[in-house]
Amino acid sequence: MAPGALFALFSFLWLLGWTPPERYLTRVTAVVYLLSSVIVAGLTWSLYASGETAITISLGDWFVVHNYHFPLELMADRLSLPFLALTVILVGLIGQFSATYLHQDPGFERFYILLHLFAFGALVVFAAGSFDLIIVGWEMVGLTSVLLISFFNYRRGPVENALHVFVVYRACDIGLITAAYLLHHFAETSSFVNGMPHLTDGHASLVGLFLLLAAAGKSAQVPFCGWLPRAMEGPTPSSAIFYGALSIHAGAYLLLRSQSILLASTTASVAVIAIGTLTAIHSTFVGRTCADAKTSLACASLAQLGVVFVEIGLGFTWLPVLHILGHAMVRTLQFLRAPSMLHDYHQVHAASGGHLEKTGRHYDYYLPEPVRIWLYRMAMDRGHLDTLLENVFIQPLLQLSRGLARLDRIGLTKSEGAANVPPTIHTTLRADEGVRNG
Amino acid sequence: MADLSFPLISAAVGIPLIAAAVAFTWDTRARLAGILGAAGATLCSAKILLEVNAAVGQRLAEPWAFGLFTADSLNATFLLLYSLLTLGVVVLAPRRDTSARITGATLFLLAATLSAYGADNLIVLGAAWVLSALPLIVAPFTGTWRPRAGLAVSCLALLVAIGIIVQSAQSGGDLEPFSLASLQGHNYGGSAAFALLLIAIVCRKGIFPAHAWIEDAAEAGPVLPVCLFINGHLGGFLLARVVIPDFPLVSLGAFPILSDLALLTALYAAIRAVAETRARRILALLVLSQSACILAGLESATQEGITGALVHIIVVSVATAGLFSVLRLMEVRFGRTFTADHYLGLGEYTPRLAVFFVVCGLALVGLPGTLGFCSEDLLIHGTLASHPQIGLLLPVATAMNAASLFRLFSKLFLGKARGTMQGITDALPRERWVLTSIVVFIVAAGLMPSRIVTLRTNAAHAISQLWESPKTSPSAQYAPAAETRLSR
Repeated sequence: MAPGALFALFSFLWLLGWTPPERYLTRVTAVVYLLSSVIVAGLTWSLYASGETAITISLGDWFVVHNYHFPLELMADRLSLPFLALTVILVGLIGQFSATYLHQDPGFERFYILLHLFAFGALVVFAAGSFDLIIVGWEMVGLTSVLLISFFNYRRGPVENALHVFVVYRACDIGLITAAYLLHHFAETSSFVNGMPHLTDGHASLVGLFLLLAAAGKSAQVPFCGWLPRAMEGPTPSSAIFYGALSIHAGAYLLLRSQSILLASTTASVAVIAIGTLTAIHSTFVGRTCADAKTSLACASLAQLGVVFVEIGLGFTWLPVLHILGHAMVRTLQFLRAPSMLHDYHQVHAASGGHLEKTGRHYDYYLPEPVRIWLYRMAMDRGHLDTLLENVFIQPLLQLSRGLARLDRIGLTKSEGAANVPPTIHTTLRADEGVRNG
Repeated sequence: MADLSFPLISAAVGIPLIAAAVAFTWDTRARLAGILGAAGATLCSAKILLEVNAAVGQRLAEPWAFGLFTADSLNATFLLLYSLLTLGVVVLAPRRDTSARITGATLFLLAATLSAYGADNLIVLGAAWVLSALPLIVAPFTGTWRPRAGLAVSCLALLVAIGIIVQSAQSGGDLEPFSLASLQGHNYGGSAAFALLLIAIVCRKGIFPAHAWIEDAAEAGPVLPVCLFINGHLGGFLLARVVIPDFPLVSLGAFPILSDLALLTALYAAIRAVAETRARRILALLVLSQSACILAGLESATQEGITGALVHIIVVSVATAGLFSVLRLMEVRFGRTFTADHYLGLGEYTPRLAVFFVVCGLALVGLPGTLGFCSEDLLIHGTLASHPQIGLLLPVATAMNAASLFRLFSKLFLGKARGTMQGITDALPRERWVLTSIVVFIVAAGLMPSRIVTLRTNAAHAISQLWESPKTSPSAQYAPAAETRLSR
């Protein structure tokens, strides 16, 4: 609750016109996440000492209507505790790192407010005792991710990429919402505090595939992986915590949480393995053609995520958790060091006496040249996946929308249509420019 | 039936009418008259809500009012909500939107809408319905011909339906043919009256194919009063107040079609908004899409769906009032309307207005932490439970609405500001206080929604009771379909 309270407090004060000094923001952040880390350590100890499988806290129902109720149940078990610990530790560290990195940046306060909202959302996802509650945190994580991608909003690129990511997130969130509804429909609950609801094979396949859609969107798996390189437009600390550590692994956490449903359905398990495998191969190829450090790291993250998905689909539990923890820590460090990469290279170069071995020669050099060229082109265009989604979904939707607009204009004469449109900001700007240009 | 302690509904209607007369005659004090009129209506409505809550499920009649008005769990919240919305809009409206003509018409609209909410009599309801549409049909909110035509058809259909119902009740020997309370379960007027009522609802709410007038009205008219007009949601109210009580079994049989039409409208408007570039039209389409979800929820015949719809009315009204207000304030600051063709970067100069815009917008599309999340959750559960295949359209439409809204936000507030925009001011204190109240309400009610949901559950329960125990069943031919739907 503490990150959520911080977010609400700082936002409200800002709306009323007060901006806290940088030092105050960073110190409060440090204290809160230090205390949160202690609390998570205490939870871990009490779980270990009691020998129980989970500690649950029921805060009652959020709202109740007839037979439907929205339970506010929090749960800390052996799956969620590592993720909770990862969240509070990494957010605390990123908070300290950003104090220097974003010093005197105009968006300093905005970054911290969004960081707290993200931490709150991530903690809700990892501590939720029902899929209904996971949706709450899930959407908060998505929203903060998008707002941080457009952090440098004076440039067109970050804003356009944020919109792209937002569309992918919202489209894939339909999977989670529908899966939660289907669980209510089939099992009359979406709570997993007392174990995952039992479903028949067919129901498990349906729910599992919808969950996979949500997880694939959040974890940038094939065919949705095009958004991750675009998300690198945000400030480096947010890239580290979102796409190196927490947000990107939320999809894997969702699949781990619902693993019993996935394993009850061969279709869902095979789909998870297939998507993971495709993502690992795809991002390995794409990563080799990336020209900047952050995008290379994003592709490397994707490759590891693909392997994690395969592990989950094969039924492993602890292996993917350990894989995620290790990967998140290493990748966060790499992201945070990315701006200093040239400096690091020069240091290593100097330390080795100026005799660094050349890298970059891989097994693909054994392939015939036409195949290599074809692979290179495909990797440069990120597997044509963005083009595919654009051609299959976006363009037809835009054409349909324009067609419906024409339908709506039926009955309006040309003069009525023109009279209906007051002068817009752009016609004014053009007119102003015309006057200035003489 | 118990009585209210004072003719509070008549007072809530009368005070804005007097204030409207003052505003029309005293141009320089129009805003003050508007604030006093709306504040008076708000106080009366708040007292009504308190008395209705204390009476637990009872309908409260007005003393000395000849059975014209009544208050219950369904309309008490709407009375307060609409009065508050009008008060907020009058307070924050830019000076050029507070002329005697516009303020007087806005107060007239408030009085007519409150009369429709409070009506316990078909004649009063019909008259209020027509009077509330007058500012758009004749003056001063008139745009192109489509708003006038749509609303004229809606008024005509309702008046004819009321005539048929009254005649049918009189020939059936009903002693109170005008009373809404005596309608319950009698199927007065038969399928002709039912069809006309549905036409009135479809035209008023802008359900496909009668949807285009809402876009035209939002684009060409003064946007704040038009927003208030749309947020009256009298179409949904007529459904709950007249159609379901008079035709419980017929409506259950016919609702799948109407509900599908509403969901189709939600999707249609969402798709239309995707490529639309004019800011006012985008917002109008979003309101249209989300308002159609309200109708779909009411017609789901499930308690979750009906409660979700009643809560969603609050969300849509408050959020769209915030969105249109911010847009209007920006238009006035720059002197022109906006299109979403380029990134304007207005957030650099108006960061608080940008935050108000995005919070209201995200509440409209159901972001967690806002009241919109609760209403969307209930709506989705309700519509999916009543018709699963078509109900899947609702989350799809909501997702597209969210994308359109974020696109509009990005185009207006993000990007690099151009040089000619220097000198734009952020929210003024009176604007800031009203918009902060809206945001605080949306978020506080979203974090602790149980009070509002419970308040609306009582009304939803009263509506669903009408289906579960119709007095008579002259429409027995619809009974099998109705039973099938109720068993869900």
